Amino acid sequence: MRLLLRSSRRHLLRHPWQMGLSALGVAMAVAVVVGIDLANASATKAFRLSVEGVAGRATHEVTAGPRGVDENLYFQLRQAGWRQAAPVVEGWVNTPELKRPLRLLGIDPFSEGEFRGFTRSLREREQSGELDRFLTARGTALLSEELAQELGLEVGDELEILASGRVERLSLIGLLTPDTELGRQTSRDFLVVDIAAAQEILDRLGRLSRIDLILPAEDVEKIQALLPDGTELAGKSARAGALDQMTRAFRLNLQALSLLALLVGMFLIYNTMTFSVVSRRPLIGTLRAMGVTRGEILRLILTEATWIALLGTAAGLLFGVALSRLLLQLVVQTINDLYFVLTVQGVGIPLMGCVKGLVLGLVGTLLAAFRPAREATEAPPRAVLLRSLVERQARRALPRLAIVGGFMIAGAAALLAIPSKDIFLSFAGLFLFVMGYACLVPGATFVAMRLLKGPTTKIFGILGTMASRGVAVTLSRTGVAMAALTIAVAMTVGVAIMVKSFRATLIDWLSVRLQADVFVAPVNLSQSGATIPADAVERIKNMPGVEHAMTSRHARVGSPFGEVRLQALELTQPAFDIFRFTTGDPDDHWRSFRQGAAMISEPFAFHHGLAPGDTLELLTDQGPQSFDVAGVFYDYSTDRGLIILDQEIYHRYWNDRGVTTMGIYAAPGIPPADLLTTAQDAAGNASERLRISANRDLREGAIEIFDRTFVITGVLRLLTIAVAFIGVLSALMALQLERARELGILRANGLTPSQVRGLVTTQTGLMGLVAGLLAAPLGVLLATLLIHVINKRSFGWTLFMDVSPGILLQAILLALAAALLAGLYPALKMSRSSPAWALREE
Amino acid sequence: MTMNATPPLTTPLIEMRRVTKRYVEGQRDHAVLDEADLQIQTGELVVLLGRSGSGKSTLLNLLSGIDLPTSGEILFEGTDLGALSEHERTLLRRHQIGFVFQFMNLVPTLTVEENILLPLELAGRLNRTQRDQALERLDFVGLGDRRTSYPDVLSGGEQQRVSIARALAHEPHLVLADEPTGNLDGDTEAQVLELLEKAVRESERTLVMATHSLEVAALADRVLRVQHGQLVEVDPSNPN
Repeated sequence: MRLLLRSSRRHLLRHPWQMGLSALGVAMAVAVVVGIDLANASATKAFRLSVEGVAGRATHEVTAGPRGVDENLYFQLRQAGWRQAAPVVEGWVNTPELKRPLRLLGIDPFSEGEFRGFTRSLREREQSGELDRFLTARGTALLSEELAQELGLEVGDELEILASGRVERLSLIGLLTPDTELGRQTSRDFLVVDIAAAQEILDRLGRLSRIDLILPAEDVEKIQALLPDGTELAGKSARAGALDQMTRAFRLNLQALSLLALLVGMFLIYNTMTFSVVSRRPLIGTLRAMGVTRGEILRLILTEATWIALLGTAAGLLFGVALSRLLLQLVVQTINDLYFVLTVQGVGIPLMGCVKGLVLGLVGTLLAAFRPAREATEAPPRAVLLRSLVERQARRALPRLAIVGGFMIAGAAALLAIPSKDIFLSFAGLFLFVMGYACLVPGATFVAMRLLKGPTTKIFGILGTMASRGVAVTLSRTGVAMAALTIAVAMTVGVAIMVKSFRATLIDWLSVRLQADVFVAPVNLSQSGATIPADAVERIKNMPGVEHAMTSRHARVGSPFGEVRLQALELTQPAFDIFRFTTGDPDDHWRSFRQGAAMISEPFAFHHGLAPGDTLELLTDQGPQSFDVAGVFYDYSTDRGLIILDQEIYHRYWNDRGVTTMGIYAAPGIPPADLLTTAQDAAGNASERLRISANRDLREGAIEIFDRTFVITGVLRLLTIAVAFIGVLSALMALQLERARELGILRANGLTPSQVRGLVTTQTGLMGLVAGLLAAPLGVLLATLLIHVINKRSFGWTLFMDVSPGILLQAILLALAAALLAGLYPALKMSRSSPAWALREE
Repeated sequence: MTMNATPPLTTPLIEMRRVTKRYVEGQRDHAVLDEADLQIQTGELVVLLGRSGSGKSTLLNLLSGIDLPTSGEILFEGTDLGALSEHERTLLRRHQIGFVFQFMNLVPTLTVEENILLPLELAGRLNRTQRDQALERLDFVGLGDRRTSYPDVLSGGEQQRVSIARALAHEPHLVLADEPTGNLDGDTEAQVLELLEKAVRESERTLVMATHSLEVAALADRVLRVQHGQLVEVDPSNPN
């Protein structure tokens, strides 16, 4: 095998463009998968570190509804003998110097014990007497050395923060000295203050965010018996799990998109290896005649694939790490926009992520190369197999391939028809469907080329005939490249239709939901518990020019499903117009709603398997309470779901009169701009703590977030197209170089260089056109699956499909442009080569 | 005359017993060989004559175990090729058979020297002695100074001489040549044939050569014409 391997290595080195393009294709595909994986892993790690840093060594936590835990409960627990309990008040604050928010953590140093990773700092402060200052002087804080350096602060300096709409000044009295590396990582963005100071800064006097506990398992029931209604005890892992679950579908969708890039990359490898095998069939035949066994041929071809895989994967890992930095920003941005505040220090490069990339690159490449390698072993000994025979065999295989494709599509339909919420199953169905369609592409190309022969001959004469026939008679080489291009373009079309449909649905929904002219909300709306001061609510309600003012309380409350979002709605006339229901008579729903039933959003119903007529249990301040589900409404504000209750019912069960948002409707004849100014005036002192926005601004803000969310999808689409482009370029290069003799003969017979260019370009143009025509229906089908299956099963949203002819035209133009661009270099190369050289080469 | 009259003096290197080979092409069932018999002794130089498509290459394929007969037996040194697996037949070719093709079929990514050493390496016999012997054959075919050249810089005649050296490198018992001069001009053809005959005779190998050239027949011990599915022996001095 030594000489054979040497020969094989030289073959690769003699075709650097073929090897280089294949390796580049693998590299890009691996990079996309690794980039997404590392970005996801870094975001997940950052999120776990943040949970770890805040919860520390606590095993359990006591939480309560929207207003938080009454601090007296902490004292009761201590009195009852649970010494390993630590009260916590936390929230997010901003600094003028940093773009990211900082976590303000209010703690009681005496209760902290061994809870968190910076306990030693507190002990040291206790010994040096600084702790007294920390406790007694208002506005003192501790922060990590890295953060102090980043902010350019030294001990004794002042730090300005924005919290609850107010500017606060904190004096830095010391630095956190974490006990461990984990402690250092987890407390990097912490701003630690005394608990009383935190309550004051975050407007939560007398309330705690939670009580952390280190509990032996046998004490859990005892604690539960002590807890008043409206509070609950949960394990730390439940919190981490719930938040992790929140972004799971989002991360999984990104992974699936990245795997689609890998799939296109695998087509590329398949194409390259098929070409490599087909073009060397006579040589393989000779080797077989000389006594080289089938197994040795298989090993030889797979070794070549391994070289490509190793080169591509190594480059892909490096590129993937670089790419992950860009993708991480996009992932974190989306998580911050849609789910929760997450700060990430940088991309970690976990060994497992790299191993996964390595395995995917190697296994994917070898898997793609296996069939061509098997085909090589079936080459009959001796150089008797003519190219025309290979092509005839390829054409004969078309009906079989189409039948296989048909079965795969039927299998995909069966998988997708299974009534399951399993996203993996849905993606498996989607991938099988794509593969099945890919199997139909070579056959469809053959038919299309026959149909196009007439028109191309009419337009380009005999060269047109040659161009269309040229594609049809080289299907063994062009078929796979066409399939790869079709899939990549279809994916772009599918995702574009999905995003466009989603956007259109969202805009339509916003126009229904955001009917008020002016909206009022606290600056820090995302901070649980933030409210509009009651006096400001009254003043704004009663200001002139207001026809209706609808208030709403946003809260997170306990339920058997974990913490859920609840909005308590003041039932005024406009409320009836801003909800659209998935089923049933709205009048019936509202009637039940008035009587105390809940409305749930479509994602909520989907995630928890609820429907009108079911009951929903919520943890109220009066204890667990069941609510009938009146109706299910369309809602795109959160994929985790939302519950709506009548504000009067909310007040009955929760001791919370807070108002989180207000929608103000102008009286007839009052311009909204005037109402905005009046509202700002009416808010008075509270105006700097409130965000008072016009309808248009809020809508634009929502659309901006939406567009930001799909930037990452756009990046992935571009990368996949790039992989497919490399595939087509590689196939065309190989094809044109293989036809060197044929073109040489034509040149010798008087074909001018420009006619050669025209011939090659017409051929590649036809390939692009047909790929585009095939991609358009696949794109629509993919969009249908993405919208009605994947999206529905991932997030539970109903999106209304919006297919414009423009998108389909774009698909055709994209495929045409990619193919023409890919054919440019081969066309130039072939037109410039000497016919004598081309003839001699053979 | 049907070729079944020569009485075996020793165990023949190759023996064909009532071998039939049929091809089905669409509706047409075509017998290339029809119950043909043949014996070839060690050291013989046998030439197969016949028109294009008469079945010469098919016969070579059958003798080397590349293809199997539709019926009948082919014995190689007493072993029935039909009883061997595909893998075993491949190994038999590797160790016992050398090939010379019309289109040279050298490995383009191996140098002249490496092409010649390839059969030895495949046979697992690439030691210093064997290597030196193989390279001597390169001198023998007059290309000792082209060891490090790649095939694409050699002329057709030079490439065919390398093929001959390669076919003999691992000292096979049987050399099969399929139109080895079909692609060469007259002078080069003569040189290559002379070289091939000399190489085979000196090393006492058996050569079966398919050709449509009547001049080649003059070199043969025996000349067989493939005709209507049978092997007909003709006079080497007057093959017409």
